[in-house]
Amino acid sequence: MKDWFHSVRTLVWKDLLQEWRSKDMLTAMFAFAILTLFIFNYAIELSPVNRAEIASGIIWVVIVFAGTLGLNRSFTAEQDQGCFDALVMAVPDVSAIYFGKMLTNWLVMLFVSLLILPIYSLLYNQSLFYAGFILVLVLGAWCYSAAGTLIAGMTVQTRMRDLLLPILLFPILMPVNMAVVKAAGGILAGAPLLDVQVWFVLLAAYGIIVTTVSILVFEYVIRE
Amino acid sequence: MSLEIRRVSKSFGQHRVLDGLDLEVQPGEPLCLLGRNGAGKTTLLRILAGLLRPEAGSIWLDDQQIDYAESHARHDIGLVMHQPFLYEHLTGVENLRFYARLYQVPDENVAIERAMAQVGMQRFGGKPVRAYSRGMKQRLTIARALLHSPSILILDEPYTGLDLQGSQAFNQLMLEQKQQGRIILMTTHDISHALPISSRFAFLARGRIAEELSNRNLSLEYLESWLTEKLAKSNSGQQRVTA
Repeated sequence: MKDWFHSVRTLVWKDLLQEWRSKDMLTAMFAFAILTLFIFNYAIELSPVNRAEIASGIIWVVIVFAGTLGLNRSFTAEQDQGCFDALVMAVPDVSAIYFGKMLTNWLVMLFVSLLILPIYSLLYNQSLFYAGFILVLVLGAWCYSAAGTLIAGMTVQTRMRDLLLPILLFPILMPVNMAVVKAAGGILAGAPLLDVQVWFVLLAAYGIIVTTVSILVFEYVIRE
Repeated sequence: MSLEIRRVSKSFGQHRVLDGLDLEVQPGEPLCLLGRNGAGKTTLLRILAGLLRPEAGSIWLDDQQIDYAESHARHDIGLVMHQPFLYEHLTGVENLRFYARLYQVPDENVAIERAMAQVGMQRFGGKPVRAYSRGMKQRLTIARALLHSPSILILDEPYTGLDLQGSQAFNQLMLEQKQQGRIILMTTHDISHALPISSRFAFLARGRIAEELSNRNLSLEYLESWLTEKLAKSNSGQQRVTA
């Protein structure tokens, strides 16, 4: 187990260092997120009445679409240089590759979210910096990365990976999308914690189940 | 300790690439695998590395069947393939550090320094790999394969991109590995480079080892004529099959 965590830590270190140098994922995700925010800003007129309800949807749609760009890139670097084979040979357990990639995707998504929240606040004159709201995004991004990394691992070996990833991923994410929008909307509307508690539980359960299942099946997913 | 391949078969769709192949490689006796393009050399090496599963047959090391699900079985292999397995945005040293950590190499700094020196890349370790030439990438690839001191070296076209000096340095390195009793299996289309280090040559045709040649002071001329004859036979056989 110690070896497994050591491999995960090493993989995350490599991925983050590589991302910091290339900025492939970050640039694409951030640019896409900003553009989408601007489009929403022109397309949807927010009144003080519907603001809380709609803000959570807008933010989550922006994060999910930007996140898909990042997921597409996360395994491409390994595939382009054939590094995936070298990783499979070097790690004590192939599931460490999944967990390392999942953590990197999660951290990158959170970083992009952190950058777009103040921009949203400026554009819509609405603060989103509430502990509950941030927690929903953290949980939602975890669920998204857990499912997305597994699907990205499956589709990276196909020629139509850019198309296949969202087609396979979005249906699986339906419960996450619903829970994030409902929980975040409730928090922004000032609903009591008890009212939105069920959505937090749903997100946590989804994250735990998908992460566990992915760790168990990842080796079979990437083999031949 | 010897590596034994027993009746290994592998097909891709309808195309049978390996057909009950048997082969044995002794430590300290590097074997050079030859054959025409598409003969199945790379497929065999990928099976040996545990990256492909054979449909039938097994791989044995010291009378024990290798279970590639076990990490130590995979860890004991150093692999050089067509692709360099390197990260373009990391420096040469960072690439080696990454692999050294995954393999949990003790004294990683010493091991990295030694590996870079072995392939003559000490001066370029701080540069990103994307700035390397093909030959420099190949040198670093060889350093990566040797970094964790594996018992088995699987080398697919290791001379690709290497200049004369690089090829000579690589051969010197392989002679050292040979003396240390490593199991070395390589493929190449350039037998002039492989001749000084290979103890045996095996010709792969129709999914099996068609013929073997022991290197007892073979001349390059003899080896070339032998290989030309085998390739001609193999090609005519292939054409008959296709027709």
